[in-house]
Amino acid sequence: MFRHVFVYRFKYLIRDRELVFWTFVFPVILASFFYMAFFNINKDEAFHPINVAVVYGGEEQYDAPFKAVIEDASKGKDKLFNLKDATSQSDAEQWLKKGRIAGYFTSGETVKLTIKDSELEQSIMKSFADQYRSSRLAVQRIAQDHPDSLKEELLKDIGNRGNYVKETAGGNSEPDSMLNYFYALIAMACFYGSFWGMKEVTDIQADISDRAARVNTAPVHKLLAFIAGSAAALVILFTEMLLLLAYLNFALHISFGNRAGLVILTALTGSVLGLSFGALISAIVKKGAGMKVAILTVATMIGSFLSGMMYMDMKYLIARYVPFLAWLNPVNLLTDAFYALYYYDSLSHYVRTMGMMCIFILLFCTGTYLIVRRRKYAGL
Amino acid sequence: MIHVKNLVKRYGELVALDHLSLDVREGEIFGLLGPNGSGKSTAINCILSLLSFDKGEVEIFGKTMAPDAYDLKRKIGVVMQNVAVFEELTVYENIDYFCGLYIRNREERRHLVEEAIHFVELDDFRKFYPKKLSGGLLRRLNIACGIAHKPKLIFLDEPTVAVDPQSRNKILEGIERLNEQGVTIVYTSHYMEEVEQICSRIVIMDKGRVIASGTKEELKAMITLGEKITVEVFSINEEQLSQLRTLPGIVSVEHIDRQLYIKSGKGSNNLEIVLDFLKKRQIGFGRIYSELPTLNDVFLEITGKQLRD
Repeated sequence: MFRHVFVYRFKYLIRDRELVFWTFVFPVILASFFYMAFFNINKDEAFHPINVAVVYGGEEQYDAPFKAVIEDASKGKDKLFNLKDATSQSDAEQWLKKGRIAGYFTSGETVKLTIKDSELEQSIMKSFADQYRSSRLAVQRIAQDHPDSLKEELLKDIGNRGNYVKETAGGNSEPDSMLNYFYALIAMACFYGSFWGMKEVTDIQADISDRAARVNTAPVHKLLAFIAGSAAALVILFTEMLLLLAYLNFALHISFGNRAGLVILTALTGSVLGLSFGALISAIVKKGAGMKVAILTVATMIGSFLSGMMYMDMKYLIARYVPFLAWLNPVNLLTDAFYALYYYDSLSHYVRTMGMMCIFILLFCTGTYLIVRRRKYAGL
Repeated sequence: MIHVKNLVKRYGELVALDHLSLDVREGEIFGLLGPNGSGKSTAINCILSLLSFDKGEVEIFGKTMAPDAYDLKRKIGVVMQNVAVFEELTVYENIDYFCGLYIRNREERRHLVEEAIHFVELDDFRKFYPKKLSGGLLRRLNIACGIAHKPKLIFLDEPTVAVDPQSRNKILEGIERLNEQGVTIVYTSHYMEEVEQICSRIVIMDKGRVIASGTKEELKAMITLGEKITVEVFSINEEQLSQLRTLPGIVSVEHIDRQLYIKSGKGSNNLEIVLDFLKKRQIGFGRIYSELPTLNDVFLEITGKQLRD
């Protein structure tokens, strides 16, 4: 009997194109749009070396140290400048006018900076020039006052800037707030799975639908029919989530960390959470399907919004000012679980969020059971 | 086969079933007739243990009916008032799904489903989805879903609502064929013609109560009305109308738009008396119709209102 109901519920659910669209196609489309939008943001925010030129004054005592420093800053993977040597100041002026460089340094007793605009690139150039000047002044003073101290180690130290804040990483992965958008999207997709749960209850409660009344007149335990139907819905939703994860990971290169097994477990938990949520709402709300869909959609959207899917800062505002709401929002819990897997080496935060999700699943299932277990109705 | 005693069902202040008692015998087509809201569907749902009730008892096949009385449910087929099928499953799949809730053996089920499809004449539509079917075909699919497992007792709750006459006839013929195969049928409707046509015994309900029961002949015998005569008259005055009303056996006379509507009591020569009267007074007349009382007349005489009010 379980197999019979499972097979037919699977056929029935998988052929519901509208539901498949909202639970799978729509999240895939949305993820693609997210990717296109955030890919450009990342591209724009990436640092590009600044095109600069140097005009040497011809005095070796001033030119040589500056040349050494600026050439050092124009080397390597994280270089600050793309350096162009100007043979004369007029060359540099021409380049500046044509916009081929952001500005140029003129070496001499005092390093001068010539710029046309005043933007980020020019600010960086000014900081570089200021730092060079102060370091050179410091060396000159030490040379005058304490020539004996002028050893190589000291000179190295003058060039360094100390950092007195110790940074500790939660894990090996780089923090990436953009990922949260995608994790919230997966959570939203799981909660769109609540529509599947809604259908299962609708087709088992005789006071909600005629089909359910017909099933209730058959020699089948309604909970058995409900469990078989829910299992079919879970298989479909979980498969959709796996396909969504695969698309995000392999096509859009969204990272989920290195714990694939736990990522899949999280998707499964999210699917169960979404289904059980839909089942509970469907059992509680006795109005028509339209009302139920509206409630589920609004609840999912609010949950997604509060977990940062539309506005990232919302997640942090909630965490800062109403932290209990973050723990009471199942969409946020699911988002957090994915992020915890990505970012933290430790599983403690992940286990906490998963535990909370399991509590929600238990509550939703218990609530649904208490309503659905009734086998005679006061009214149809 | 079905024994219902003193069934009471209340919705707050409203009494939907008021000490309803009825017995359905094996092999009959039992009609539950009554206007909309008279409690027919409520009675069926209580009998099927879908609805809770406040008082009374329901026995089917000699056993108390309950939600977990699976041995009883296995022998019962139900065709709901509204079409209750899955839009995403084909005709064959829908019947197979519902049949599968009763029959586990796949081979047996395949055979039964084919038989049901053939029975409701949906052979050419087995791969169609319900949305592609007309209202009549959809009703037939609805019936097939309820009867495919070959139950001994079938409840048909207004199965012909919103169905074209051709499909209605096919449905009614099908019900009669099922009955001929030995199936007991409980048929609810507010269409008196259908009930008259197929039911061997009839219960007329109103306001949750049984107001009359018996065969259609027995029901008609309960009332004073014997015949309804309609005569097209070209000219008749008030005095002649008064004289007509005093004739023996005449119960009432109405004159509307050159039509005389005469109701007479039981007797064999009422029409003859009326025609004799018209000829003697040289009242010109055209077409004449004579009808025997219907179940609507029975309902009208007992309750003072029409069945379709």
